[in-house]
Amino acid sequence: MRLRLLRWLLLTYGIMAAALWMGCRSVSSTEQSFPPSASVLHLALADDVPTLDPAAGYDTASWEFEQVLFDTLVRYAADSNDLKPDLALSWDMSPDATTFTFHLRADAYFTNGRRVTSEDVRYSIERVLNPKTRSQGVQYFRSLVGAEDFVNGKAAHVSGIETPDPQTVRFRLMQPDPIFLHKLAMPFAAAVPKEVVERWGEDFARHVVGSGPFMLKEWLSGQRLVLVKNPRYFIPGKPKVDAVVALIGVNEELQWLKFEAGEIDISSIPPAEFTYVMKTPRLKALTIHHVTAVTSYMGMNCQMPPFNDVRVRQAFNYAVNKRKLIAILNGRGEVARGVLPPGMPGFDPEITGYPYDPAKARQLLEEAGVPKGFSPVVWLTADPTMLIMGQSIQQDLALVGVNLVLKPVAWGPLLDAVRQPNTTQLFLLGWGADFPDPENFLEVLFSKKQWGANNDTFYYNPEVEKLLEQASVVADLKTRYALYQKVQRIIVHDAPWVFLYHPVAYIIRQPWVHGIRLHPLRPARLDNIEVSPH
Amino acid sequence: MARSSINWLQVVGGTITAILVLVAIFAPVLAPHDPTQAVAPTFGDPGPPSLAFPCGTDQLGRDVLSRLIYGARVSLIVGLSAMAIAMSVGVVVGLCAGFFGGWTEVILMRITDVMLTLPGLLLAMAFVAILRPSLLSILLVISLVSWSGVARVVRAETLSMASRDFVLAARALGASSFRIMVRHILPNIAPTIVVMAALSTSGTLLLDAGLSFLGLGVPPPTPSWGRMVEESQIYFRTAPWLVFFPGMAILLAVLGFNLLGYGFLRKRNR
Amino acid sequence: MLIYLAKRIAFALLVLLGASLITFCIAFVIPADPAVAIAGVKADPQTLAAIRAQLGLDQPLYVQYVRYLSRALHGDLGRSYVRRQSVTSLILARFPATALLAICAMGLSLLLGVVGGMVAAAYRGRLLDTLLLTVSLALVSIPVFWLGTMFLVAAAAYFRWLPLGGLDGARSLILPSLALALGSGGYYSRILQANLAEVLELDYIRAARAKGLSPLRVMFRHALANAILPLVTLAGLDFAGLLSGVVLTETVFNWPGLGRLAFEAVFNLDIPLIMGTVLFSSFLIVVANLVVDALYAWLDPRTRLS
Repeated sequence: MRLRLLRWLLLTYGIMAAALWMGCRSVSSTEQSFPPSASVLHLALADDVPTLDPAAGYDTASWEFEQVLFDTLVRYAADSNDLKPDLALSWDMSPDATTFTFHLRADAYFTNGRRVTSEDVRYSIERVLNPKTRSQGVQYFRSLVGAEDFVNGKAAHVSGIETPDPQTVRFRLMQPDPIFLHKLAMPFAAAVPKEVVERWGEDFARHVVGSGPFMLKEWLSGQRLVLVKNPRYFIPGKPKVDAVVALIGVNEELQWLKFEAGEIDISSIPPAEFTYVMKTPRLKALTIHHVTAVTSYMGMNCQMPPFNDVRVRQAFNYAVNKRKLIAILNGRGEVARGVLPPGMPGFDPEITGYPYDPAKARQLLEEAGVPKGFSPVVWLTADPTMLIMGQSIQQDLALVGVNLVLKPVAWGPLLDAVRQPNTTQLFLLGWGADFPDPENFLEVLFSKKQWGANNDTFYYNPEVEKLLEQASVVADLKTRYALYQKVQRIIVHDAPWVFLYHPVAYIIRQPWVHGIRLHPLRPARLDNIEVSPH
Repeated sequence: MARSSINWLQVVGGTITAILVLVAIFAPVLAPHDPTQAVAPTFGDPGPPSLAFPCGTDQLGRDVLSRLIYGARVSLIVGLSAMAIAMSVGVVVGLCAGFFGGWTEVILMRITDVMLTLPGLLLAMAFVAILRPSLLSILLVISLVSWSGVARVVRAETLSMASRDFVLAARALGASSFRIMVRHILPNIAPTIVVMAALSTSGTLLLDAGLSFLGLGVPPPTPSWGRMVEESQIYFRTAPWLVFFPGMAILLAVLGFNLLGYGFLRKRNR
Repeated sequence: MLIYLAKRIAFALLVLLGASLITFCIAFVIPADPAVAIAGVKADPQTLAAIRAQLGLDQPLYVQYVRYLSRALHGDLGRSYVRRQSVTSLILARFPATALLAICAMGLSLLLGVVGGMVAAAYRGRLLDTLLLTVSLALVSIPVFWLGTMFLVAAAAYFRWLPLGGLDGARSLILPSLALALGSGGYYSRILQANLAEVLELDYIRAARAKGLSPLRVMFRHALANAILPLVTLAGLDFAGLLSGVVLTETVFNWPGLGRLAFEAVFNLDIPLIMGTVLFSSFLIVVANLVVDALYAWLDPRTRLS
C-alpha cells in the first residue's frame, strides 16, 4: 500500500510539473505572433511598470509608455522643451495668461474606434480632479476656475473647462499661469475614453485604451509588456516600429548580458561594465547620454538645531566630496552647484556653489560651536546605490569630526518622515523637473506654503517668499527668470541642501537602432525609434 | 556509532566557532585597516586582491579583509543574542506547556503552532521593514520567528520527563512546580537544549545574513557579511572575489555551529 | 478519522485567523501614513488630505478588521498602494512562475536527498558516510543567496549557454532550482540516512536479507519504502514553503515569482501587498499541512484513533 501511494504521489507530481511547464512555456515565449517581416523593438526593464493609467502614473517608467499610448493637447518636441501640437492643432493664450483656447484635430480616434472630442479632454481632467481617482495630478489643475467646487462635489463639472463645440476646448484660470501649457503636456492631462474607464474602474490601468501611436497588446505582471502599432494613429509614418516588447524583471546586469547577446535593442549600462564600455570605442560610439533635469541633494532641516545655523549647513556643503560621489557613479554625474540642473530655464552658470574644502568646513563647524563627535542621522531609502552614496558622505563627514548615522527606510516611510516637522535632521533625496520652469524647483521646494509637503527642509526666508510670490504670476519670461535667479542665489547662500550632483543618464543602442532622441525632462519617445533589419 | 566520528564533528565545529569568537573580539588588533574609511584610491571600481589588500577593495575603496574581520562582530552578536532570546522564550514556553498541561498547554502550543506555520523570512522582512532596521529590531524579529521550534521540542522532552519516577517522587515530596521544573526537568533536558542552541544559532546567523542581503540588516557603516554580498553582487562578472569572501565567511560560521550541533546530537544519541 | 480531520481543519482555520491578525497588526503598527505612500513624492498638502479622507481610515479598528477578513474570504485582498492593482491579481499573476520553480527544486532536492541518503546508509560508518555527512552539513550551511550568486559567477565565466536570470525557457530553471535544491537535498539525505539506519536494523529487513534477496532489492523494495515516508511528510511541508515564494533565490535570479513580489512589497512598504503575500503564504502552508495530515491519517490507523 505504501509503495502504491508513493507511485501515486510521483505520478501526480509528474502531471503537475508537466502542466505547469506547458503553462509557463506559453507565457515565456516572447515572439508569439509577429510575422518575420515585422520590426519589433526589444527592451528590458528592471521593475514592473507601476501603472499605465495616465491619472495614476507619476514616474519615468509609467510615463515612458503612457506618453505613446495616449495623447495630450500639446506635447514636447522630441529633444527640446518646445511645445508642439498633439491633439490640438493650434491654441491661443490670453495676454494675461488666464485663458487658453485649443482647437482639436478631427482625425484623432481612440483605439476602440470613437473620435476624440473636447468632451473627452474635459472628462479626463475632471477625472484627475475627482477625489475618488486619488490622482497626484490634482495639484496641477486646481487653479482652474470652478475646480474647488467640483472637487468638493458642489458642481457636476469644472466651470473653467468649456467645450463650445467638439473641436474646441477652453480653460479659464483663477490667476495668471504662464506655464499652464506645460501642465497640459503632462500625461495627467491625456485624453482617456470615458466609456472604457467606467467599464474597468480601477483596473483601467490593465485595459488602457488611448489614441496614441501604440496600443496595449499584453501586460503580464512581472514578465512582459507588449505594445503594437495603432493603425489609425493620426501622424502618418509613426510609430516607426510595428511593436515594442519590454521584458520585465531584467536587472541592469542581465540587461547588459542580453544586450551583448543581441536580444535587446536598447540597454542601460551597469556600473560594473561602464568602465569597459567607455574604453571600447565600438561600444562607446553606441552610447547616448544627457544630463538629467534632476538634482540629487542631502536636505538639512533648517528648524532643527544645529542645522538652524547657516554656518553648519554651509560647513556640510564644504565637507562633502561631490567628485568622489560622481567617481562612485563611474563619472555619470555633474557636480551640482545650485538648485537648478543645467538645461533648465533660469539656470545660472555663474553660481559657483561650494567646492570641496574640509578645512573650511571644520572652521565653520568650530565657529558654530558644533562639538566633535556630533552624530546627526541621515534618512535614506534602503536602495543599494543610495546606501553606497550615504557611506561615501559618511566617510567625508568623519574627516571633519562628524559621525554620520545612516537610517535606511522604505520609500513610503521616508517620504512620510521628511514631511513631519522636527523629525529628520538630514535626508537624501532627489528632485526631477516636471516642466521647464524654475518655479517647479524653487517654489515647490522652498516656499513656506509647502511645509509638510515638498519643502522638507522646512526652509523659510521672508525675502525668498516675497520674490516667489512676485515671480509666479509674471508672464514675461525674461523678468520671470531674473526674479528666480535672485531667489536661487539666496537659497544657495542659505544652503538648506547639500547640493550633490545632477545624474547623467547613459543608454546604449544596437547599431541597427536609430532615431533615439533623449528629452531633457521626459523619457525618450518610443514612436521615434526605428529598428532596421538585422 | 564510532567514537572517533563524534569527536571529529565537535572538534572541527568548536575550532571554527572559537576562531570566529576570537576574531570578533580582537577585530581592532587583527584588521589591517579601518573597515569604514577609504584606504585604496579607487572609487567606483573595485580593486583586485593584492599583497596590500589580500581580499581586494570594494567600490568605496575599503579593505575587504578588514570588513570581513569586523563583520564577524555583528554576525556573532546578532546570531548569539537572537539565539539566546529565542532559546529562553522557547524553553519557558515548552517547559510550561509540557509540565502544566491542560489549558496552559493548549493555548501555548496553539500559539507556537501558529508561529511555526507562518512564513518566517517573510514575517521577519515585514517586521524589520516596519520597525526600521537596527541592531535591536533585527535581534527581536529574528528571535520572534525562531522560538517556536525550540518550544515544540522542549515540550515534547518535558512531557517525557514529567511522568518519570524522579519527577513524581519530587512532586510527592511536595516540591513546588517551579522547583521541579528548574531542579529536576531542566537539567535532564539540558543535552537537548545544548543541541538546539547550537543548531538555532546557525539558523539565526543565516536569517540575519539573508535580511542583510535584502537590505534589511544592521545599517552601514557597520560591516556585515550579508550586506557585503548584496553590495558586491553587481560585480559578479567583473570582480567575483568581492562576493566570494563574505559568503565564505557566512558559510564557515554557520557550518561551525551546525557541526557543533550535530556533534552534540550524536553524543547524546549514543 | 472524520473527527481527526475536523480537528485538523479547525486548527488550520485557527492558524489562518492568527495569520490574518498578525498581518492586520502589521498594517496598523506601521509608522507611515498610507496617504503619503499612495500620493508619492510630489503631492501637495491638499492632495494628501483628500487621499486620507478617501481611504476611510477613520473607523474603529475591529470594524476595519472584520471588513478586511470578510473581504479576504471573498478573495479580495485590497489594492496595492504602489501599483494600484488588486493584490489578488498580482499574487495570482506571479504564482505560476514560483510554482514551476518550486516543483523543479523539490524534485531535484528529493532526488539528491534519496540518492545521498541511500549511499550514506549503505556505507554507514565508513569514509564515504563521513564524507557525505560533511558535504550535507556544508550544503545546509550555505547561504542560498550566495550560492546563487556563485552560480551566476560560474555561469558567466564558464557556462555561457545558461541564462543568468529571469524566466526565459527551460534552461533558466536550472540554476535557481539547483541553488534551492542543494541545501534541502543535503538536509533530506541526513533525514533519510537516519531513517534508513533505523529501518535496516528491523527484523523484517534482516529476514529479507536472510532469504538471500540482493542488498539493492532489500534497500529499494523494503527499506526505502518505509524510510521515505517521514521524508515525504517533510517535503510536503517544505513544498508549501517553496510555493509561498523563495524571496532570496528569486531576488538573486530575478525570478518573476511571489518572492520577488513580497520583496518589492516590503521594500516599498506596500501594506496591502505585504498583508496579501503573508496571508497567501500562510494559506498555502496550512493547506499543505492539511494534505500531509490527511495522508498520514490514511496511512497510519493509529492517528485516526487518537
